[in-house]
Amino acid sequence: MIPQAFDYSSPRSLHEALVLLENGEHKVLAGGMSLVPMMKLRLATPGRVVDLSRVPDLNRIAESGGVVRIGAMATHHEIETSPVVRGQCPLLSEAASHIGDVQVRNMGTIGGSIAHADPAADYPAALVALEARVRLVSAHSDRTLDAADFFLDAFTTALAPGEIVLELEIPAEDSSEGYRYEKVAHPASGFAVVGVAVRIKKNGAAISMARIGVTGMGPRAFRDRAAEKLLEEGADIARATAAVGAGQEANADLYASADYRRHLAAVHAARALTVALSRAS
Amino acid sequence: MKIAGAHTVPAAREWAFALLQDPVVLARCMPGCQALERTGDGEYHMKMKMVLASMSGLFDGRVKVADSCPPESFRLTVEGAGKIGFMKGEGVLTLAAVDGGTGVAFAGDVHVGGTLAAVGQRLIDTTSRMLIKRFFEKLGAEIAAGEAARAAPYPGDLY
Amino acid sequence: MATDRYLAADAADLVEVDYEPLAAVADPEKALAAGAPAVHPQWPDNIAFTFHQEGGDTEGAFRDAEVVVRQRITSQRLIPTAMETRGVVAEWRAGERSLTLYSSTQIPHLLRTLLAGILGMPENHLRVITPEVGGGFGSKLNVYAEEALAAFVAMRINHPVKWIESRRENFQATIHGRGHVDYFELAAKRDGTMLGLKLKLIQDLGAYHQLLTPAIPTLSVLMMPGLYNFPNISADIVGVFTNCVPTDAYRGAGRPEATHGIERMVDILAAELQMDPAAIRLKNFVPANAFPYATATGLSYDSGNYAAPLKQALDAVEYPKLREEQKRARAAGRLMGIGISTYGEICAIGPSPATPAGGWESATVKIEPTGKVTVMTGASPHGQGEETTFAQIAADELGVDIDDVLVVHGDTAVVQYGIGTFGSRGTAIGGTALYYALQDLKAKVKKFGAMLLDTQKVTLAGGTCTDEVSGKSVSFAEIAGAAYRALKLPPDTEPGLVATRFWEPPNFTFPFGAHIVVSEVDRDTGAIEIRRYIAVDDCGKIINPLIVAGQVHGGVAQGLGQALWEQAVYDDSGQLLTGELTDYAVPKAHLMPWIESSHTETPSPVNPLGVKGVGEAGTIGCSPAVVNSVVDALAPLGVRHIDMPLTPEKIWNAIQQGGRA
Repeated sequence: MIPQAFDYSSPRSLHEALVLLENGEHKVLAGGMSLVPMMKLRLATPGRVVDLSRVPDLNRIAESGGVVRIGAMATHHEIETSPVVRGQCPLLSEAASHIGDVQVRNMGTIGGSIAHADPAADYPAALVALEARVRLVSAHSDRTLDAADFFLDAFTTALAPGEIVLELEIPAEDSSEGYRYEKVAHPASGFAVVGVAVRIKKNGAAISMARIGVTGMGPRAFRDRAAEKLLEEGADIARATAAVGAGQEANADLYASADYRRHLAAVHAARALTVALSRAS
Repeated sequence: MKIAGAHTVPAAREWAFALLQDPVVLARCMPGCQALERTGDGEYHMKMKMVLASMSGLFDGRVKVADSCPPESFRLTVEGAGKIGFMKGEGVLTLAAVDGGTGVAFAGDVHVGGTLAAVGQRLIDTTSRMLIKRFFEKLGAEIAAGEAARAAPYPGDLY
Repeated sequence: MATDRYLAADAADLVEVDYEPLAAVADPEKALAAGAPAVHPQWPDNIAFTFHQEGGDTEGAFRDAEVVVRQRITSQRLIPTAMETRGVVAEWRAGERSLTLYSSTQIPHLLRTLLAGILGMPENHLRVITPEVGGGFGSKLNVYAEEALAAFVAMRINHPVKWIESRRENFQATIHGRGHVDYFELAAKRDGTMLGLKLKLIQDLGAYHQLLTPAIPTLSVLMMPGLYNFPNISADIVGVFTNCVPTDAYRGAGRPEATHGIERMVDILAAELQMDPAAIRLKNFVPANAFPYATATGLSYDSGNYAAPLKQALDAVEYPKLREEQKRARAAGRLMGIGISTYGEICAIGPSPATPAGGWESATVKIEPTGKVTVMTGASPHGQGEETTFAQIAADELGVDIDDVLVVHGDTAVVQYGIGTFGSRGTAIGGTALYYALQDLKAKVKKFGAMLLDTQKVTLAGGTCTDEVSGKSVSFAEIAGAAYRALKLPPDTEPGLVATRFWEPPNFTFPFGAHIVVSEVDRDTGAIEIRRYIAVDDCGKIINPLIVAGQVHGGVAQGLGQALWEQAVYDDSGQLLTGELTDYAVPKAHLMPWIESSHTETPSPVNPLGVKGVGEAGTIGCSPAVVNSVVDALAPLGVRHIDMPLTPEKIWNAIQQGGRA
């Protein structure tokens, strides 16, 4: 449990950080909740670690024009407790509250988490359901992608060498919306065996908008558009969620088989929708 | 761990079969393959760099093609060992003509040991399938780019 | 030798091992199959030993039986996971030719004796110090290679050497626990009277024998009758080598396996006969007037009132009302379960013939010249709190303030020889040795007190010694000072106030109790909710209720760990797949139910304190209560047995299959 020797840089500006990262071999330290354990096991042996914690303003959380911007270095705890996030996109705040434990939430950041793209991470379900966008910058580029296009596969994102996540842009949830993040936590790791994030808008008794994001079940988080459509066409929750995850690859490990994960995704989608519906006005 | 799946290769069956046994093609398409050197009949020495999230490791190993029944099936063994662990994948690949090319079905076992297996248990299944998927995606891209056609020494000296 | 941990890790990284993998077998039943790879070529059938035990007429009992139930029951392999991994510091003083070894161990004196042999050095040049130990649960009841290696290297390089085990090493180099596959058969009459019990016990030994490896399953066999009046017993143990970490003592050590087996079998019999699980237990308990009770396995149960804790637990849950609630829940389609476990354990291990290294314990009490009291115990507690319990015993007996008592342990240069901490023995044996040493000293203190007061009869209380006739008194400290100053001595009395006792127990003690678990299973996901946990434990006389509660809580946590979450998983090649805490699920605070703990107190006649032991009780009583509860919840679906751990997917599969059946 001893890492290999490595060089450490602690840039004081974004520009300095991006110039350093032009060397594609360097690793970004953005909280270290995944990177540091990997280094201690020597599964990761970076030559240089670039710590973003001293880059100013990277943890800013602010809303303007109906868009909530969350800096990559905002911690899970900040996102869980931020009045802006709680008020404007409470689904993300609820998902953050399920991550790891208090110590992890105090150290881990949203940028670090999504760049790592663990298939069992909590955020991605909420981000795809929120139709969030991810802003990526490098020394030479600045681009913004839909979250759904950012997560490519297990531990695989659209980040190019030298690029970092700068911030997330999340369209504010309508205050009449209902939302819910339901999670089955692994009893050892606390990671999501399955996590389902949903948003609902009601029009009278009918559902006028539904968003369902699923994490943990497959190699990457996905939106179940078929189930969303069924709900928006008037199907009841049981019918709409019966096939959640159909056609998606499913993970398997010692704790839960692929079939069981798929089943959990459907069950918890229904439960999340039920709660979301009760919260919608 | 058992592993099975199917991918489509955008090439006719005989052609797909030849590509799948071509060391140049294998070297290009196997994720992280840095060198592939022929050591015997259907046997190759391989150097590979696995990069997955923040994890990375060098593997030294071999690739073996056996029980070749062109153009229908063959047995492929890929194994490697490095500081972070060792792995061995063995399975039978079966080729059948499908719309748009050749369907390649595989079924076999993946065995992972060492640190990788002891601490990465929840990821082995997911990442094994992902690496296989990447291989076939790359193969498809190679074919599409016409690169494979120039590189493959069909009918070659493999069988 | 590396000069720091970083260098050591870098150096180890440079070693490239070229392994030639041999055929392996990680499952004890597969290891017994014909043609299985041999773990040790010299024993091609992988059988390390077999052991047969018989009492009564088992064949006759099965012939006469009106009903026989059979079940294969496993107690899965567990990883003890002490919070503190093992650690060793060895310091060689060449000038003195003496070695001081600090080790996180449960047995400092035995370690010293065995190390002397391993290192080939005089035992009296070796000092073992065991400072505060962060948990052991049996996993540090061993002598490990690293202890000898660190010592050897320190002597070779003439420099102190430190070795701390990483968590991964802890999982792969420190003993594991459990690892049973049990085939039970229970013969009974249709009225629920149990007649006979047969067991074939396949013990996964791992690859080698550690200190007590083969002894653990024999404890299971001894305790297989549980609390029941079983005249006829037959058991066969097959000890099997596998390519896994050796198994050895882990909290409960053989008794959780035995209890899980018999308590599951009793429930299976009750279900077969459609009897209430509480009623069938009450019908078959060894009656309260039958003690000492000779079991068919050759033990003598010391004392007991087995119905008492069960009745107390049933009252606590309002059992009849609870069954009514269950009926309503079932009618509403909910899966609610009530599980009972009534356990007995064999503790205070134990009389010397039953142990490989002496089953006694020692205590020295020294009243210092200032009147302060120092207790040196060989019991070497590692977190159970005997520093407090023993101080209470000493303070009560000598009539001094508890803050004037210091309990010292875990240093072979300070403490007289001792055995150590395991088998719920600390207070029952070490406490008793202390008690007798205190009686010796009390008598001597009174002699000095009487001399100073110039009288015959004195009492000792409240820090003073008082003449019963005149009411005059002298303080404890004055007596102590006089005993060391020795200007005048009572007749036939030596100066000083030190007494040492080595106490050999005449028998084990047999604590018992009843645990009830009320559970609810989520029909859609298989997730289990523990709604209530009632533990009524009888550990004999209770000296410190808070410490007993701590032991019960910790024990139940580890029992729940086995019942619900923990399992060491190997693949067929012998690779441990649960190699870190990310996959091996130990109980966590937020997963624990509220434990409603209470007690009955049936003193043990084995020792004058009347204590029995409580360190392992919670673990032993817990797992069958949980599994019985969940199986009861699933009973309407035709489920009869599920092996641990009860993971949600396993339960969900059982529900799916039950739904189809």
